Amino acid sequence: MSAVLVVHGGAWSIPDEMAPASVDGVKAAARHGSSVLKSGGSALDAVEAAVRALEDNPTFNAGYGATLNIDGEVELDAIIMDGRTLASGAVSCVKNIANPVSLARAVMEKTSHVMLTGKGANQFAESIGINAIPTDKLVTEYEKKEWEKAHDTVGAVAVDCAGNVACATSTGGIRNKMVGRVGDSPVIGCGGYADNSSGAVSCTGHGESILKVTLARLILSHVEQGKSVADASRLSLQYMGDRVQGAGGTIVVSPSGQWAATFTTERMAWAAAADGVLWFGINPEERLNEKLSQ
Amino acid sequence: MLPVVVVHGGAGHIPKERSDLSTSGVCSAVRSAYAVLQGGGSSMDAVVEAAMLLENNPSFNAGCGSVLNLKGEVEMDALVMDGKTLSSGAVSAVRNIANPIQLARLVMDKTSHACLTAEGASQFARSMGVPEVPQESLITEYSRMRWKKNLAPDANPVECQMGKMGTVGAVAVDTDGNVACATSTGGMLNKMEGRVGDTPCIGSGGYADNMSGAVSTTGHGEAIMKVTLARHILFHMEQGQSAEAASDLGLAHMKSRVGGLGGVVTVDPQGNWAARFSSRQMAWAAAQKGTLHYGLYTGEHFTQIIEDAH
Repeated sequence: MSAVLVVHGGAWSIPDEMAPASVDGVKAAARHGSSVLKSGGSALDAVEAAVRALEDNPTFNAGYGATLNIDGEVELDAIIMDGRTLASGAVSCVKNIANPVSLARAVMEKTSHVMLTGKGANQFAESIGINAIPTDKLVTEYEKKEWEKAHDTVGAVAVDCAGNVACATSTGGIRNKMVGRVGDSPVIGCGGYADNSSGAVSCTGHGESILKVTLARLILSHVEQGKSVADASRLSLQYMGDRVQGAGGTIVVSPSGQWAATFTTERMAWAAAADGVLWFGINPEERLNEKLSQ
Repeated sequence: MLPVVVVHGGAGHIPKERSDLSTSGVCSAVRSAYAVLQGGGSSMDAVVEAAMLLENNPSFNAGCGSVLNLKGEVEMDALVMDGKTLSSGAVSAVRNIANPIQLARLVMDKTSHACLTAEGASQFARSMGVPEVPQESLITEYSRMRWKKNLAPDANPVECQMGKMGTVGAVAVDTDGNVACATSTGGMLNKMEGRVGDTPCIGSGGYADNMSGAVSTTGHGEAIMKVTLARHILFHMEQGQSAEAASDLGLAHMKSRVGGLGGVVTVDPQGNWAARFSSRQMAWAAAQKGTLHYGLYTGEHFTQIIEDAH
């Protein structure tokens, strides 16, 4: 079976002037992650590579380009999960790291824990040679101008040729959040979940709503009961809107290669690489495509 | 059938000489929580009351009596969730406060967020007038002794962890049919600084939904997280399994899929409840229809009329 990778760059009312950069960004990340899969890399390698590409891109609210909290600092959250073993790594409120998703992977692979927070997460980073970056290098001009930027997040899901699924999600959180606020992104079952028996999910949108309904895990519970990934996503986002009045977006992939990118916000930049085709969109119902190999 | 409250004081292997303390602790907490419910208090009031008492009781791994991290310091996690609105409040890796569960509730009630961590949680505590307490007031001889023992290179913290009282928690349904859960812990013995376990993670340490029920979990935190145990159990209940069957299915799944042991207290909106565990023991107690139920070892189920003297 062929590998599939889907990425998102955040679900929110992306302004028109940011739309082209957002679409370019997710397409580039999808191409990058997909090439990892093509050369035999695992789903885990692919989602990490794709999310790193998004973290490095200042267009997105993760890593470089992240939002400032109320104290004017950058606090980052990320999660990565391996559907084969259910192993997971997460960091919350880690400061001044360029690639939180890689730190999350290190938590998973180099510690016996699943999640590290705050100072402890930073200390761990240092201990494995990941250096802190000065705040002003991480904060873009865009952020410094008080542009009303809503909450966005980046993420990826993948299934590799061996049928293993994985997910990764990374964020700088909501603008002007309280110091130490932890949203859905690093919380397993909320910001993301991956299980070879059902699939992998990465979520974005209103963090507190995603937490209330454990959105990622909810979607997979529908898949477990026989729903398609598209229906499972739609039902779950609908439920989140009805029950807690929250909007968001999700990307899902099943172990057999079914995939979906769904959102109830105004826009979500997303891209999927499957069977030599690159699919992408940003507006509701949009599904553009082009050849994957350029 | 209503109201009902079920409390746990941690799953694991409790040394015999400490087992009386654990049993009396959970019984005492459940009596107080039940009195809150009988007096018209909400399920949230009841679970917070139970968790606070257990945090204040030095025999449990929460608040005072918390296990120590690798550096010999106390970092605590807590979660509350309201089944009616699905609102929740959590704190992770918070230091120097006596009652993390109280702070978690304040996060839920007084902020638009669901979780605050570390220094941010402390800042918030200060802004709410929650007193800062010296770390020493949270550390017991027993927890210090276990920490020292676990610094030895051949020590196995997960196994030794199971030898200490675990996380505390409670679930309840009030007379209005609202469910709630609360879970609080000092975490894992000799954990890395900043390690966050299942307790403050919604869906793992606990979950509450008026449509299906409430769960509070204890046991090996990382394993509980991998299977999002609380949410997993409620998925089974949504599909028609009883509180007891769903709890057993969840614990079995955790054991077979990721090799982890633990325990849960579970309640459905009608007041059916269960206290189940795959570890050797779990101190638990429940109160319903004027009767106290409690146990420690597998298969134990003692009862007592609540008007009895202690």
